[in-house]
Order: sequence, then structure tokens, then C-alpha cells
Amino acid sequence: MTRRNWVRLDNASNIFLAARSETDSKVFRISAEMDHEIDPELLQTALDTTYDRYSLYHAVLRRAIFWYYLQDSDLRPEVTTDNQYTCAEIYDARRPGLLFRVVYHHRRINLEVFHALSDGTGALWFLTDLVAEYTRLRYRQQDLPENTDTAQLTAQPGGGAEDTQARELTTDSFRHYFRGKQRPTEHPKTSSPSMSPTKTAYRVKGTRTPDSRTRAVELTMPVKDVLALARAEEISLTMYLTALFFESIRCAADGLGKSRTLAATVPVNLRQFFPSVSPRNFFATVRVEHTYGNGPDDIGTVGRALDRQFRPKATPEALEKKVRRYAKFERSPMLRIVPRPIKDVVLRVINWVNNRGLSVSVSNLGRVILPEPVESHVGRMGFHVSAVRPQMCAMSHAGLLTVSFTSPFVETDHIREFVRMLTSQGVDVSVAATRVTEAEFAEDSEI
Amino acid sequence: MKHCTQCTAQIEGDWQHCPLCETPTPGEPSHSPFPAIPLNYSRRRVVRILFFSSIAVILGSFAAQLLLERGSASIGSLRSVWLGVITMWLLVVMAARNQRNIAKNTVTLVLLVGLICVYWDYLTGWHGWALSYAVPIVCGTSILALLITVRVLRTEVGEHIVYSGLTVLLGLAPIGFLVFGWVTTPIPSAICGAISIIALVMLQVFRGADVRHELAKRLDL
Repeated sequence: MTRRNWVRLDNASNIFLAARSETDSKVFRISAEMDHEIDPELLQTALDTTYDRYSLYHAVLRRAIFWYYLQDSDLRPEVTTDNQYTCAEIYDARRPGLLFRVVYHHRRINLEVFHALSDGTGALWFLTDLVAEYTRLRYRQQDLPENTDTAQLTAQPGGGAEDTQARELTTDSFRHYFRGKQRPTEHPKTSSPSMSPTKTAYRVKGTRTPDSRTRAVELTMPVKDVLALARAEEISLTMYLTALFFESIRCAADGLGKSRTLAATVPVNLRQFFPSVSPRNFFATVRVEHTYGNGPDDIGTVGRALDRQFRPKATPEALEKKVRRYAKFERSPMLRIVPRPIKDVVLRVINWVNNRGLSVSVSNLGRVILPEPVESHVGRMGFHVSAVRPQMCAMSHAGLLTVSFTSPFVETDHIREFVRMLTSQGVDVSVAATRVTEAEFAEDSEI
Repeated sequence: MKHCTQCTAQIEGDWQHCPLCETPTPGEPSHSPFPAIPLNYSRRRVVRILFFSSIAVILGSFAAQLLLERGSASIGSLRSVWLGVITMWLLVVMAARNQRNIAKNTVTLVLLVGLICVYWDYLTGWHGWALSYAVPIVCGTSILALLITVRVLRTEVGEHIVYSGLTVLLGLAPIGFLVFGWVTTPIPSAICGAISIIALVMLQVFRGADVRHELAKRLDL
């Protein structure tokens, strides 16, 4: 007799289910490039070991009357070749399966995760442990640490081997930090988070890919060159890239027409302020925008303006206020008694309203450091996300910055502008793109 | 590696033209980090349209019956043929939906078949066959069938227990038919009621904790 563990889906994750669509599977991919062709059997063994350590990853998603919930399962993951397009759908309501997959292609190990299960940081922990375990198996003769467990975790505030229990299903960091009594200093008056008016922003338009797959283009460049450019403008790398992204979109669109405002949503990892070792979703988003045509619009000025908006919004106090407001909304009795399918519709409408105020999304997982013997066998690492609007994801490892662009559209004009702006400043960029149109496949088969 | 002279960037993979600006790319092809996955046109939209149009036709057909005169006087046996065809169609559509959960399918089936039979009986002049025979037989046999299937398929208790419970509760309805005297022959209803009561007692005794666990999960506010 099995009575399985289960837990209600957390605060942030519900939106991924409601906002999921044919073009946007809400799946993200993190990849690590090794220094050799991947050995699938060793990767499978490494996956089995890592999987056993992360009970959250055993979960399947089920539907109840009022909420979705995650439930423990006996399923085992299987390593496959990269046989589907990037960020292909994972969750199928009628056939509950695991919410992640591990695939390989030549020298790459890719982890794809349904966003309702885990966020970028949580998935990066899993991938780090997987890669560490794989490397240990592959280079057995070398002197690698026996226990690669929590390689990444221990680097986190509050992390440590004894805390690995926290990677279980039932740990919800949102509930842990934002459910109790509020600090007496602030009392947000807003009744619902969704109804705060957001300005409409310029929306990128394009031709959808023929089979609704995500178009991904990955740029690789030396991180020090781009960092030098950002430092010269005295702004953070994320905001420098965002400003560059805005400018690329403006150039590609040949001016913005009537709506001169570009807005981006930037996720912020809450673990840096509220220590948690749970790989479940634990982030909040910050919106930044810039209206063109009101003064100088060069990269530096735009970047500094974005930085000035971003910093006060990304403080622990501001984030706590924002998340508490969401948590309060989620706990309101009115919403709780609404059946799940209707909640989905409500969330979908909220999401649609929010999307009107956003042009692009920007996400930076930052610099990844692996434990030393593993570090030297891993080259660039990158990640990208299925997208309903043009999205930019950045990540750096081994001195290489990968900036990935994803979008539901065929067009790559903004990426071309982005690349040319960087190369014109002397940055070496290499471009890797997925094929998405009949013409591109025809070209491939001509060879 | 290939490169684009216009973008002054390196191009990974074997692109003949730059994926960003379509300028021809000189150089040796290299491995792309992304495999070329052929286009795969999803039939999902077509299936969805077929599903909803089928449901519309089926519901329309059931509603259209009310426009015709009740009893056998109007279109006679043609009505039964019509009802038979759309009932069959409905069941095929339900089967094609391919719900993985056998117990859930059973509840849906019992409800649909029961309601259609009652409606059918009503349309053909209310001879009472639906409540006397069809509904109790469908309910009773579905409980037995479910008992056997979940054992044969080794369905996990948590997967089926709530829907099995619902099937058993539906099986109690014929006791009501008996009490209100809606039946012409009491035997099918009595047997169905007895099966349901026995199943309910067994469920409570052997699986009571599981039922409460599943209900707590599914009704969590």
C-alpha cells in the first residue's frame, strides 16, 4: 500500500500552468558542454544517482478540485539523445509523467525542466550535481571527490550537506518566509496584485514558427570583454545586456512607432535574500522600462536609467512586499473556494493583462562555479526558456558568456543587431541557431 | 568554423547562409550544439475542432428530439436509430479522448449511459425500462467491472479510489428508485443496491483511510 507524499503547488508556479500555451511550453533548458563526446550509459548512471538525491524531481503534477498538486512517483528518468526541438512540451495533463528530461547531443548535457517544478537556480543545482557525478564516473582514475553531493548547494547561503532534506517535495520557501505575520513597518493596501495598472509597452511582432516551436539562437563570447564594456558604462552586466537588447529591438523594428516604451521583466532569485536550499520555484520578477525619444538614448544612458529603476525594486524589502501581496491574494478566501479550472482562467486573464505591459524578458543566472576537478572538464554553460515574447537568457562559465535568445517568431533581426553591436566593439561572438523554417531545413538537406 | 562576413561573427553548425542576415557563410562546417529536428505539424488543433464539432452535433441531436412529438407516434423507430447512432458517436468520442484513468472513465460512462437511457425512455413514451433495468444494470455491472479491472491492471489505490467510490455511490441511486416506486420490476434495482451497499461497506472497512487521504488531497482548500 502506498500513500504518496503530496504538496500543493506553490505560489509562483500556478501561473506557469495557466499561462502555458501551444507556443510557450513553460519549459527551460540548461546545458553544460563537456570536453568530450557524452557517454550515454555513464550519463544514465549519473542521472540515477542524482535523481535519488532530489526527491522533488520524482514529482508528477496532478489536478485537484481547487489546486494543482505535486505528488511523489515511482517513475525513473531515462537519458535520451536530443530528439525533440528545444524546450518541447513536458507536461501533459492526461499523461502525468516526470516534469523534467535529460538529453545529450555530442558534447552537451541538457536538462529541460517544466517551470512549475523548479526555477533556474533549482535546476542548476540538479545539473551541477549531475555533471559532477558524470565527471566522477568518466574520470574515475583521477582523484575526484567521492561525494559530489550538493556541489552547488554548499556554495549557497544556508546551504550544507545536512540541509539536503530541504530538497524534498514539501519544502515551500514562499510559505516559509512570506506566510507568517508581516513586519510591522509596511502594510500594502493594494487588494490584488494584478490590478495595479501597467503601462502598455511596445510589443514585438513576427511570423510564428511553422510548428509553434521555440526559435533559439545562442551567442557565445568572452565574458571579460562584455564585462569591460558594462564596467565602462558603470552598470551591471544584466542591465548592460538589457539596454543592448532594447536598442537591438528598436533598430530591428526600424523605430518603435507610436509606443516608444520598451519594458522588460527580470526575475530575481529570492534565495540570495531569504536563504533556502529548496529547488522549488523561489523568485520574484521586477519590471524595468525605458521610453525612447526623451533625451539621449545611447546604451550607457539607457542602461544607467534601467539600473536606477532596478536597484530599489530588487532590495529584500521591496521584494518581500511584492511577494507578500501575491501570497495574500492567493490566500484570499474568495480565490480559495474558486474551482481550479476557473482559477486558471482568472490567472490567464491576469497574465494577458501583464503581458500587454511587457516587450521582452531578461534572465541572468550569473557566473557558475563548479567544484574544481569538474570545472576543468566543463566548457560553456547556457540556458534558455520557451518564450511567448522575445527573451534573453545569460549565464557564464569557464570565461565564456552565453547569451541565448528565444522567441516564438521566425525573425532574428534583433539578434543580428545585437551581434553586430557587440562585434563592432571588438567582441568575438559565435552564433548557434536552431532551424525552424522549411527553407532552413531544405538548406540543411542540400549539403 | 563558418563565419558571416556581414555580422563578423562565427557560425556554429553547417549553415550555408548566416541564420541572422542570410549572407552566404564561407568556412568549414562544424558541429552545431542543436540537432536539426524536422518540423512536426501538430494535429492537436484538428483533433480539438473535431471533438467540439462532434459534441455540438451530439448535443444538437439530443435537443432536437424535444421538437418532435413524444412517444412512438412521431418518427417511430427512426428515433431509436438516430439516438443509437449519436449515443454510439458520443461513446466513441469519449473513448478517443483516451483518459488514462479507468475509474474516472467508468464514472463518466455510467453517468452518460444512465442519463441517455432515462432521456430515451422519456422520449419514447416512458415505459419505465430505463429506471427498472438499464440504470441498475449499468451501475451494478460497472461496480463489478471496476473491482475486477483495478485488480487486473494493478491500478494504484490513490489513482482510482475516489472514482471507485463515486461509482459505488451512483449504484445507490436504484435504491431510491425502489423507495419511490419508480420501477416496474424491483429485482435489478435490489441487486444493484445490494452490490453497492456491500461495496460501500468494504470500501469503508478496508480502504477508509485511503479514501480520506485522497479526499483531503483533492478537496484541499
